[in-house]
Amino acid sequence: MDSIVILFISGLLGLFVGMQKKPLFSIIIASLGLIGAGVAAYFKGSYVSPFASYAAFIPTQSLVIILLCAVTLLALLGGYKRYKSDDEHTGDYFALILFSVCGAIIMAQPNDLMLFFIGLEILSIPIYVLVGIEKGSSRSAEAAVKYFFTGSFASAILLFGIGLLYGVTGSFQIIEIQSNLAIGIWQSPMAIVGSLFLLAGFTFKIGAVPFHFWGPDVYDGASNSVLMYMSTVVKIAGIYAIVNVFGQVFRDSYAFWIDLICIIIVLSMFYGYITAWKQTSFRRLIAYSSIANAGLMLFALADIHNSNIFLFVTAYAVATIAMVVVNFAVNDSTDSLANWEGIAWRNPVVGVALVLALFSLAGIPPFAGFFGKFSLLWSAAPHVPYTAILALIASVIGAFVYLRLMISALKKPKVTMPIHLSFEQVLVLVLTSLTTLGALYFI
Amino acid sequence: MALILLPLVFSLVAWFIPSNITRIYGLIASAAALVVSSVAVCYFEPSEHLLIDFGLRFVRFSIDSLGFTMILLTNAVFFLVFLSNFKRSITNEKRFTALALLMQFGLLGVFTTNTILGFYIFWELTLLPIFLILYWFGSFDKPRALLQFFLYTLLGSLAMLLSVIGLMHATNQQTYEALLAADLSSLGNTSIFLMGGFLLAFAVKIPLFPFHTWQAETYTKAPTAGTMLLSAIMLKMALFGLLKWVLPIFDGVATDFWRWPIITLGIIGVVYGAVVAIRQQDLKTLFAYASLSHLGLIAAALMLNNFDTNQIAVVQIVNHSIVSIGLFLAAGIIEQRLGTRELGQLGGIAKVAPRFAFWFAVLTFVSLSVPFTAGFIGEFFLIKALFSANALTGFLASTTLVLGAVYMLKAYQAPMFGPTINATFEDLHWSEIAVFAILSIAAIYLGLAPQCLTDFVAHSLTQPTH
Repeated sequence: MDSIVILFISGLLGLFVGMQKKPLFSIIIASLGLIGAGVAAYFKGSYVSPFASYAAFIPTQSLVIILLCAVTLLALLGGYKRYKSDDEHTGDYFALILFSVCGAIIMAQPNDLMLFFIGLEILSIPIYVLVGIEKGSSRSAEAAVKYFFTGSFASAILLFGIGLLYGVTGSFQIIEIQSNLAIGIWQSPMAIVGSLFLLAGFTFKIGAVPFHFWGPDVYDGASNSVLMYMSTVVKIAGIYAIVNVFGQVFRDSYAFWIDLICIIIVLSMFYGYITAWKQTSFRRLIAYSSIANAGLMLFALADIHNSNIFLFVTAYAVATIAMVVVNFAVNDSTDSLANWEGIAWRNPVVGVALVLALFSLAGIPPFAGFFGKFSLLWSAAPHVPYTAILALIASVIGAFVYLRLMISALKKPKVTMPIHLSFEQVLVLVLTSLTTLGALYFI
Repeated sequence: MALILLPLVFSLVAWFIPSNITRIYGLIASAAALVVSSVAVCYFEPSEHLLIDFGLRFVRFSIDSLGFTMILLTNAVFFLVFLSNFKRSITNEKRFTALALLMQFGLLGVFTTNTILGFYIFWELTLLPIFLILYWFGSFDKPRALLQFFLYTLLGSLAMLLSVIGLMHATNQQTYEALLAADLSSLGNTSIFLMGGFLLAFAVKIPLFPFHTWQAETYTKAPTAGTMLLSAIMLKMALFGLLKWVLPIFDGVATDFWRWPIITLGIIGVVYGAVVAIRQQDLKTLFAYASLSHLGLIAAALMLNNFDTNQIAVVQIVNHSIVSIGLFLAAGIIEQRLGTRELGQLGGIAKVAPRFAFWFAVLTFVSLSVPFTAGFIGEFFLIKALFSANALTGFLASTTLVLGAVYMLKAYQAPMFGPTINATFEDLHWSEIAVFAILSIAAIYLGLAPQCLTDFVAHSLTQPTH
């Protein structure tokens, strides 16, 4: 709860500071807010928060808050160059992002479906605005409108599902819903339809098949800096929400739902990776890669009791941010993968960070991505062995998507002009590389 | 500890070495690793284990006599690779030196790790440097051929990952000793699938017959040093995994189930590889198929899982490393001096380069497994073991001796003694002579006294229960 308050206040403060039109002040305020929120989450256990009575609604685990704050900080720093160029509104953008993180934190670990829905909306609405950040670009506007309409539609379905579950069980409290469903009424049509709607809303938010269609268009229209935020934080919050809500609600109807979830996993992975194979636009590639990774994340549902997705989402988030930062440095206005040829040679930091990120996404040990995938499959494989086999086959296709990108990046460059990185971009790339390597610690 | 970590340290340092002394640095670094391991082996009691624990959860090391053999082999191979490529531009590249040393680290990890997950991690770690070496220094026109190699390897590796997870779940154990002690008989058919995952990974690496299609093209397009690394040591990971991990652990239902399928594939590989090799016009492709033929024999014999055969298989593994370094070096020398590897365009080299002709002849004989070379001991006993298991397989396996003579002599005779086509041929450099001499001495020594190796590794090979 303290974290949310800190984030909210620093967001408000950022709005006032933003009026000075000094981007540097805004980024400092926003960074301090995020760091402060992370620190507050870390020390949560050691003192009694003044908000303790409210915090009872949100049993947030500090690890998730720290992860969300850290990833947001990386995304903010990585995209700072873009925000800075529009100094009229830098403060506004940062405030929107900070508000949105508040929503992500509320949403990630709910024990009340109403609260969860509020968190989801707090997370989503600023992103609708941020996607349209390129005011001059019609694609950006199109993406924003598309995202807004599909997103609100998904929210409505989700709300409908929550309503149906309330109708069956008479409660918004997840524990109560679970205990009421447990006595057998989960088989009633109303409960099943409600749960199905809930699942549909969730799959939309994390962008898994069959509700993935908004992803490529929205990612394509969003600017690099917003892409960094929305392709990571939204997914992390979404997957934690799924695990926490479904982990409770579906605990007794596990056998009934797991087949459907397995189908979603397999379809997402194959669709995402196969489609990513032939992309020529970087942002669309990231979009399809994120669809496939959303499928992988759903493995956490296969073994609800001891799922461990922390490592995987961390690896995915830092690798994605590193790639988008690199793309940001290469492709100022265009978004073509053709410009990626030989970039590893044009700046050593870019080269190292990119190779690490791609190997990590491809799931090759000893990088973070491997350990993430391993810990997911480790708990899931005994429960859903065939899905695990199919997922591994899909991962091979995925590895090729990333290796193809790496081959292109390692080619002898046609343009030898060094890539210029600003200070904060170097910082972000170094931090992501260290995190990717840091997984060695888990061996 | 230095045994394993030394190459990693060298690899990191290599990025900061001035480019004009890179090749000397690579040679010294690999020599240092070789010296350290040789000294260590002198102080090592073969019947014991050398435990190395860095306090990591999933990776621990334990070196037994088989592990030490493989460490020595690895370090020797890397030293010879650096030495034999001393006059080539590739060793002058920081990237190559650093990546090769990183790969050496990965291989040492594979051969010494004590946990099944560690085995997988190091197995995959070796993939990364070889990918970059092939990509940067190979002559792949299109990434397709390279990607094909990786498609196969990754598919195999991921099957192995699934098996590793399954095995750890099934037994709730992760160390080698605990897995050996674990009783897999209750698993029934599951253990067959688990072993199948490992075997798929190994079959791609070795390679066994239907999975070999990546081999010829990768070997041909790779730089000489890359081919040497692939064939002399990287493929041995799979045979090592079969010998040390899979066969002892899955001893019982699963091994019985897979024995004859794998032996059949191995024997098909022996005959098929040899027949295809005879028809080849490109030296490197010829040697690649020869390698397929030789390794099929080792894999088939290993599947018998017989204590004596396993010892001999180690001799044959070492012998194959010797042969493949030597032959691919010869092919590399011809290609470097003349710019071609086509048998039709070579002839009469012996007249202008007698020293090369001599050493190539020695290596050819080693490869032909004439008596008093390690290959003779290896092939003779492996074929004998296959005969006693099944006369037909033994017979088919023994065709390798005849067919091997055909393609090896063809590869030697035409370029060396054929009508003079190549009037100029720069004779061997001292570093190349040194490599050939070391290889020949090693092969003859092992041929005369194989018991020094078989007795050494016998300590760590488990006696099968049946």
